[in-house]
Amino acid sequence: MELFTPEFGLVFWMFVAFLCLYVILAKWAWPFIIKSMEERADLIDKGVAYAQEAKSHLDNAKAEADKLIAQARNEQAEILREASKMRNELIENARGEAAVEAKKVSEAAQVSLEQSRKEAEKKLRAEVGDLALQIAEKVIRRNIASDDAQRALVDQYLSEVEAKN
Amino acid sequence: MKSKIITAIVALVIVALMGWGYYSTAQHRAHGHASELNPKETIFEHLGDAYGWEVPFNHSMRIPLPIIVWGQDGLHCFMSNRITGGETYDGFKISTSEEHHGKVVQVMEDGSEVRPWDFSITKNVAGLFIAALLVIWMVMALKRWYVRNGMKAPRGAKGFLELVVDFVYGDTVRPILGKHAPKYAPYLLTAFFFILTMNLLGLIVIFPGGANLTGNIAVTLVLALLTFLITTFSGTREYWKEIFWPEVPMALKCPVPMMQLIEVLGMFTKPLALMVRLFANMMSGHMVVLVLVLLIFIFTNLFGVGVGVGTSIFSVAFTLFMLLLDVLVSFIQAYVFTILSTIFISMALVEPHHNEA
Repeated sequence: MELFTPEFGLVFWMFVAFLCLYVILAKWAWPFIIKSMEERADLIDKGVAYAQEAKSHLDNAKAEADKLIAQARNEQAEILREASKMRNELIENARGEAAVEAKKVSEAAQVSLEQSRKEAEKKLRAEVGDLALQIAEKVIRRNIASDDAQRALVDQYLSEVEAKN
Repeated sequence: MKSKIITAIVALVIVALMGWGYYSTAQHRAHGHASELNPKETIFEHLGDAYGWEVPFNHSMRIPLPIIVWGQDGLHCFMSNRITGGETYDGFKISTSEEHHGKVVQVMEDGSEVRPWDFSITKNVAGLFIAALLVIWMVMALKRWYVRNGMKAPRGAKGFLELVVDFVYGDTVRPILGKHAPKYAPYLLTAFFFILTMNLLGLIVIFPGGANLTGNIAVTLVLALLTFLITTFSGTREYWKEIFWPEVPMALKCPVPMMQLIEVLGMFTKPLALMVRLFANMMSGHMVVLVLVLLIFIFTNLFGVGVGVGTSIFSVAFTLFMLLLDVLVSFIQAYVFTILSTIFISMALVEPHHNEA
């Protein structure tokens, strides 16, 4: 049977063709393809692991961020409270200082008032003296008739002066 | 819309070709070549090898292929179209005798026919080269993809090719051979893709295909021989020890080397089974298709055109089914050859057992 007897020529060429194919592919193709596929498989595995890790990191980060935000809120409230306290203190202090200052100012005003009053009194006294002297002069000039009359007159003049002041 | 136009064009071409085929057959008959239908001869002609490659719907025209023969007087090279018509060229012709039927023979001076060393690029050899080039082209395309695109996954046909490579290497070769896998993977992958391509090419009926390659025992012989050589040369000490001094009762191996005989026989039956399995599967697939198609002509001859037309409907349906089945078989047989080769190699790589206790 022709079908079951291998033909020499075909065996020969099959051998040649297969060897050529094998040499070419084994040298330039298969190792590279296998290496590339395995590298990619590794890369994908690593990528999945990395993504899972990243996801867990992300979840953690969210919790952490929430914690940070809460902390920041607390701090903010704290700072605001501090600030308002400080403001009140400042206002209190300012008020106190202002009162002291005002007191000082009014005291000084009183002192100067007293002084000016004293000066005015001095002046008055001098003027009263002068006046008395003038009155006396006038009295003397009118030849004084009676002592009583003269005294009444002096009193009258003094009252007049006092009323004027 | 576009696909409809393409379908219409293909249908027209098919109808035209059928008409032309019918016409040329009629011409053939008219020229007195009326041939008796000989199913057996037709089947074996289609299953076997040929000088020159037939063209569809034509009985006489063939694509010429080079004939290279080493005869009694040295090397001769010429194109096959010089002798396929039955002529004698340079002392060579295609024999019609019982012994060398259909083969190139050298006609001696006394009229006897001597078979020369025949290195002709026959239809099957050309088919082998086409299959090999196709495999190189496919695999190199995949490799180029990796060179150019690095870690990106290939798309489309290359993605499918990668899937097949991964199926053969990642799911079969690597689990079986373990750390030895990279060393044997190139052979196994090459064998797988070469067999698969040859199987599938054999199913295509016109030019680049149609050569019954893996259904030819010479091709499977070489493949099985290579697996045998690799198995034998990578055998470990333990492998040879298990063949020549297996752990069986002394009576089975010492005076009469019974186990040794069985083991040595096993060495050869394994690749033999590989050879016959692939050959028989592919050849029978082709043969069933051929018989189904021939049924049309047989019934037409026996019962007339009406029955022939009826048969053709069934025949075409069954042929289509068989061809689709053969596509599956092509893949399965290529895979089976590869996985069995892998297993045989892994059996040759055995390490000593550590279960002496």
